[in-house]
Amino acid sequence: MTRKQLDRTLLCVGAAVAFGLPQLIDSPTYLQIIILLFFYAYLTSAWNLVGGFAGVLPMGHAVFVGIGAYTSTVLFLQYNISPWIGMLAGGVVAAAIGVIIGKPTLKMRGAYFALCTIAFAEGLRVMIENIDMLGPFKLNGPRGLLIPLKGDSLAAFQFMHKEPYYYIILIMLCLVLAFTWFISRSKIGYYLGAGGEEPEAAESLGVNVANYKLLAMAMSCFLTALAGTFYAQLMLYFYPKGLLGLDLSFEIAFIALIGGRGTIAGPVIGALALRPLNEFTRIYLSDQLPGLHLVIFGLILILVMLFQPKGLTAPLSRIYERLAQAITTPGGEKS
Amino acid sequence: MAYLEIENVNVSYGDVQVVNDLSLTVNEGEVVSIIGGNGAGKTTLLKTISGLLTASSGTIKFKGEEIQNRPPEVIVERGLVHVPEGRRLFSLMTVADNLDIGAYNTRAYGQRNHTILGVYDLFPRLAERREQLAMTLSGGEQQMVAIGRGMMALPGLLMLDEPSLGLAPILVLSIFETLRKIADMGTTVLLVEQDVNHSLRLSDRGYVLEHGRVALEGPAKELMDNPHIKEAYLGM
Repeated sequence: MTRKQLDRTLLCVGAAVAFGLPQLIDSPTYLQIIILLFFYAYLTSAWNLVGGFAGVLPMGHAVFVGIGAYTSTVLFLQYNISPWIGMLAGGVVAAAIGVIIGKPTLKMRGAYFALCTIAFAEGLRVMIENIDMLGPFKLNGPRGLLIPLKGDSLAAFQFMHKEPYYYIILIMLCLVLAFTWFISRSKIGYYLGAGGEEPEAAESLGVNVANYKLLAMAMSCFLTALAGTFYAQLMLYFYPKGLLGLDLSFEIAFIALIGGRGTIAGPVIGALALRPLNEFTRIYLSDQLPGLHLVIFGLILILVMLFQPKGLTAPLSRIYERLAQAITTPGGEKS
Repeated sequence: MAYLEIENVNVSYGDVQVVNDLSLTVNEGEVVSIIGGNGAGKTTLLKTISGLLTASSGTIKFKGEEIQNRPPEVIVERGLVHVPEGRRLFSLMTVADNLDIGAYNTRAYGQRNHTILGVYDLFPRLAERREQLAMTLSGGEQQMVAIGRGMMALPGLLMLDEPSLGLAPILVLSIFETLRKIADMGTTVLLVEQDVNHSLRLSDRGYVLEHGRVALEGPAKELMDNPHIKEAYLGM
């Protein structure tokens, strides 16, 4: 077997398992946990376009999840527009707002950009918590929005079972992974990486670093908002504190940092490592010590940063390389 | 008409003025050195020419057109390329990818596969290491990549900020020899250096910067015989 065949076989097996999984799992609770795992992996992949490739650290991406959820839901509730169309509208709104925030802030480096995005995200959350009507749009303040049940309906993006949601988020995740893979190998990816690491050198070669970062921000915000609509349709209810809070923003960044910033597989590996931990500590420990899962997150983050500062993807891919070599070179032969 | 003409340029960081009423010219085909100690304003001057910093007053003309306060991408497009201090490579990319990014501007992009052969001719070492990550190269090789990356932009005028920084003497010599070759192939070179001896030997003319002003200027040979320079920079 050659190396390429091995990569392809494993990819096919992985895809087959992912697509077949709902047949094996009866419990809607477990399916929901996996759906959320994919949801987080998707969000982190979208985040990665800015946080990984462009080399800045956005810490307020929950805002764009919120923009997606609010846009599609308001359009559905008040104008009866299908959430599928609302999803795209939310993406466009989020991209526009991302560009407006990014224009002045993306020039900042390190902690300054992170702090600005936190400040913006919290500011917007407080605003939405205190606004009942935004012009003609009903946001319903801190009570949030409830989407009425319509029964199984593809047009209304509502399903009585978990399977359709599972396949939708799985396909979204596959598409976003393919997209980040494509970007990382395109000219845009190289210019982003160059501008992220050595902005001055890139600029002195004539690369317009600011524009590429802005483009990455727009793409990232657009994709993030699509997941917001998905979340709204999955839960059928959301409120500002739960959706726009710093918990979600930080968890996205945690997953990226632990999985590996700027890698394609990092968000998936990070979500695989952290999501089950999050769910089970919450199920089994939250009665005794609420918030304990965040403490555990913090500990893991410290350990990973100490021993694997590039995230878990780096050691895992080294192990895979070695295994792949052992399999592809027939026994005894020296390579 | 001078190729690069700088007149009465002032640059400051906030309240601190770093470059004072500075004028200098570079003619086509020349190699010109700017020498001076730490804090003399050499790097600031180069960054201002390439558009990374803006001058508070004065004019900078390149090929007869004013370029002061234009963004760096416009200035690179016209053929003025800056190789920044300290190499600044994209460490997780291969040597070939680093070089490719040099050919970002529209003028150079279409010809990049041809230009890269010229760069490999100049630095055969880089051809051997083209698939290696930039961070795994030695200091001298990294400097070769930095200069090669600048050449990929097809410069009319190549500005280099301390290419000898942190290199072993033998490597410094070979870097300067390569710069001479680049100049002989028709690229004008503006060199900022602390290694006065080597840079003046390779140059046609030189400027001595002290406290953001031109303290001395003249043909490189005369500067090397100047008693002030001998004492202050060459330690003789």
